[in-house]
Amino acid sequence: MKAVNKEEMFPKDPNKTYSLMAIVDGETFNVEKGPEDTVQSWPHLMVRELALFLLVFAVILGVSLIFNAPLEEAANPLHSTNPAKAPWYFVGIQELVSYSAFLGGIATPALIVLTLLLLPYLDRNPKGTGVWFSRDRRVATALFTVFVVVMVVLILIGQFLRGPNWHLYLPWS
Amino acid sequence: MSETAYSLKESIRHLPRNIKESIIRRGGGTAEQERAAAVFGNMFLHVHPVRVHLNSLRAGYTFGLGLISFYLFLILIASGLLLMFYYTPSTELAYRNMKDLEYVVSFGVVLRNVHRWSAHAMVAFAFLHMCRVFYTGSYKAPREFNWVIGVCLLLVTLFLSFTGYLLPWDQLAFWAITVGSNIAAYMPGIGEKVRFLLLGGNEVGQMALLRFYVLHVAVLPLVAVVLLGVHFWRIRKDGGLSRPLND
Repeated sequence: MKAVNKEEMFPKDPNKTYSLMAIVDGETFNVEKGPEDTVQSWPHLMVRELALFLLVFAVILGVSLIFNAPLEEAANPLHSTNPAKAPWYFVGIQELVSYSAFLGGIATPALIVLTLLLLPYLDRNPKGTGVWFSRDRRVATALFTVFVVVMVVLILIGQFLRGPNWHLYLPWS
Repeated sequence: MSETAYSLKESIRHLPRNIKESIIRRGGGTAEQERAAAVFGNMFLHVHPVRVHLNSLRAGYTFGLGLISFYLFLILIASGLLLMFYYTPSTELAYRNMKDLEYVVSFGVVLRNVHRWSAHAMVAFAFLHMCRVFYTGSYKAPREFNWVIGVCLLLVTLFLSFTGYLLPWDQLAFWAITVGSNIAAYMPGIGEKVRFLLLGGNEVGQMALLRFYVLHVAVLPLVAVVLLGVHFWRIRKDGGLSRPLND
């Protein structure tokens, strides 16, 4: 660094609280860099997007060549399957219904949806935005994790541990 | 000006170039300008900004979860349209159509498998995408409303999957929808009416199959496309993907 005295060129103004102290040689921060840390969408973003699409398509095609979608006997309204299970994403709710029809089947799902819809208006502190598991949001992270874990556990119980008449069974019995 | 430029012979000689230029409209300029024009001059790419923040490209930030959900939606539309050629929403024929797909139609099994597994995967990835947005605090201002749209999209995804679940008309489909629609009947007061509206009757039958079919192939995809459009548009209006504040 090379400080140059320019006091006679820029005389200090007694009415101002700031003044030029020195002129320093060097590069500004934005040399050889796009404005605000950006890059061109083409090709940087789109090549990645295309690669991701090919990956998703390949995986789905691979899975579909190996595993067949389930197809049971033709529907028979007179002969119910036992147990009759909802699609896996609703099996957690079905598990709750087995404890209480109204609380599990209506009140809890309604409460979950309403809370999710209102969430950004209830949790407005901007701290920790853009960071995974930010230390500034420990309570929110913990609460949401409890919600996710409970949902997953309920689905697992309903899907794998419930047998005929919705009794608890181990998956291999 | 020279008149030769407009002669028929000249026109034919430059035909390929003229057609190409009329379609892609490149103004030329620097390499940077060319690349920018490639994005905003293209109807299918112009949802993208010309420049994108480096944080948005970090695979470890988004894991591409939202994009994967969207790609699965595209795969579902393509495979679903093909399946529509072979499917009849009738209790007499629906199950036979499934058997035909399995044994008669070339690659019919694979087509059905692709649609089925993509549907399950889309529910899972839409949920994972929501988890990502939560854990990174990306629903904070100014992105509150896009989170709301996202929750609606998750509900539409669930409902799309649920209505599709009935269409094979096998035991699995029939009793899953019976159980699912019975849950709606627990609603106090209007429960029975809601189920009647959904099924077109008190039990799962021909009317229910037709209603679920129309919801599945027309109404809900349309709602999903509109909501997706708003969802993507708002990403840009809200300043791109979220990133740390001090950045």
